[in-house]
Amino acid sequence: MVTALEVLNLVKCYGKRRALDGLTLRIPRYSVTGLVGSNGAGKTTLMMTVAGFLKPTAGTINLLGNGPFDADVHGGRFAILPQDSELPLTSSPLELLIHYGRLQGLSLEAATKSASNILETVNLSDRAKSSIRSLSHGMRKRIMAAQCFLGTPELILLDEPLNGLDPREAARMRDFIAQRKREQTIVISSHNLNDIEQLCDHVAFIEQGKTVRFGPIATITRKASVMVYQLSTPPVDLTLFKPLLGEGGSLNFNPQTNTLTCHTVEETLSPEELNRRMVPLLLSTCGLLTISQGNSLEDEYLKQTVEVLHATRGCDFTS
Amino acid sequence: MTPLIHIWRMMCYEWFDALRSRRALVALLLYMVTSVGTMYGSISLLQKIEKELASVLQLPASDNPGAITTTLWKSKPFQRIMRQVSKNKEVYDDIQGKSPIELIYAWLSFFYMPLLVALIASNRIPEEMGSGAVRYIAFRTSRATWVLGKFLGQVSLLALAVILSGLCAYLVARLRLGRYAPLEIVWNMSFWALRAWIYSIPFVGLVMGLSLFTKSASKATIFAILSLVVLSVITGLTTLFGGDTGWRALLPYLAACFPSDYEMLLWRNNVQSLTTGSIFLLTLGFTYLGIGYTFFQKRDL
Repeated sequence: MVTALEVLNLVKCYGKRRALDGLTLRIPRYSVTGLVGSNGAGKTTLMMTVAGFLKPTAGTINLLGNGPFDADVHGGRFAILPQDSELPLTSSPLELLIHYGRLQGLSLEAATKSASNILETVNLSDRAKSSIRSLSHGMRKRIMAAQCFLGTPELILLDEPLNGLDPREAARMRDFIAQRKREQTIVISSHNLNDIEQLCDHVAFIEQGKTVRFGPIATITRKASVMVYQLSTPPVDLTLFKPLLGEGGSLNFNPQTNTLTCHTVEETLSPEELNRRMVPLLLSTCGLLTISQGNSLEDEYLKQTVEVLHATRGCDFTS
Repeated sequence: MTPLIHIWRMMCYEWFDALRSRRALVALLLYMVTSVGTMYGSISLLQKIEKELASVLQLPASDNPGAITTTLWKSKPFQRIMRQVSKNKEVYDDIQGKSPIELIYAWLSFFYMPLLVALIASNRIPEEMGSGAVRYIAFRTSRATWVLGKFLGQVSLLALAVILSGLCAYLVARLRLGRYAPLEIVWNMSFWALRAWIYSIPFVGLVMGLSLFTKSASKATIFAILSLVVLSVITGLTTLFGGDTGWRALLPYLAACFPSDYEMLLWRNNVQSLTTGSIFLLTLGFTYLGIGYTFFQKRDL
């Protein structure tokens, strides 16, 4: 696997508090990776440390195969949308983006073109020459996100990119990020697991400054071995379905949500084959509303991080 | 080559930002008003002194300030007074016979420049650090080029300030003195402006170097003003207590770490003194900034 970002045993202390506590992560090149974790888990600290804003206490960072961040080596190849960082208020969006583009090594012509294109993408062409001070919070946020996509950086870190955007702009931003898949490596930190599930192909669960779980979303949510059927009426006899799951398969019905979850052994039964067997019977016996592949990311996140939180905070999160 | 280009771009951006920012414009305007006011007041004072001196030295009095200055410079008692005021024989020899307008302008430029620096340059870096705006730059260029670009941007802005204040001061002098403020004085005043600008560089280094220790713009301004007060006190103490023996012998070395120790070199007329003074002042400016930068390069943004 070619990695765009490799972080090994990263430690970052703020006084006595360890914000990152030996965090290890390998982000594959051209992937879109989501960072998920509770408040204070270390996601923002990780991004800021990778970008060179924060000095690590210990550990190693390998950015685009060229060691830790160095402006001379990584300038123009790497971009970040930092959290809680204001843009200079006196500039206009166009001027500022051209300035940033020029610092990334773009020619005046290329920087102007890239800045104009990106302003159009975030729907701010009409405010290109207004002062940033006069723009709303959401508009500023769009410019903050836009600056990451100037030129063609190989790796982009986005810290809460959809926060503060109205639904229409959030959808536009989601589409825009989705278009960049397989062209650039993108890392997104977000508390919105639906966004992560929609946008990302990899996910890392971070808690207490450590990576709890990392991998492709399909693997983590068990897309190949779990199928969830939303039913209109509860099944009368579950034993009817059991033989359809093949060897090692199991069933679980949740009467509160009226969902039937089927677990299969990936090697013995494909999802397509499972549906071929299950759907006719479900339709005829209990009415089938929807089919979803794999567990929800939220379920997996809660399941896999609860033990860490329980161990460190000493309270019961399962309820 | 790239770091130099980045420094240039940061410098240009600093210029545009200063022109857009009302605060920088207000500070520049205040400096020009101060220059004009001081020039006006000084000319009035000069006129009064001239009249009194003319009466004491039994010279013919004139209504035009500066009209009898040439005669004054020839007067032995006046020379004695000026020698005592300048406290430096070489400087006295060099400024002897110069137009009072030039000297007033030179004095006010040297006097007000550190204050102007403290007001306009001290908060530029902490402002961007406090708001987080630096983070949009810090992954595009190195911290060193960012700081140097800001520093050189402020230094070049001060050049604009001295030029504008010089022009305004000359206009006031021209209006007040008429033919006793000939156009040739503009050239001499420009030369004094250049010297005052060089003198401002270590102060820019000092206040910007100090500002690298904080993320608060107001704290940085307070640091800057306090540092000027501390410098004045230390300079006064070294002048007062400096000697040849014991701990007093160390005081001149301490004084050599501060810009005021080289000010008189810039008042001289010979190239050697001017070059030496300029080199020392530039070195001090970059040293102060460098000290701040050694802390800044390791700090979290």
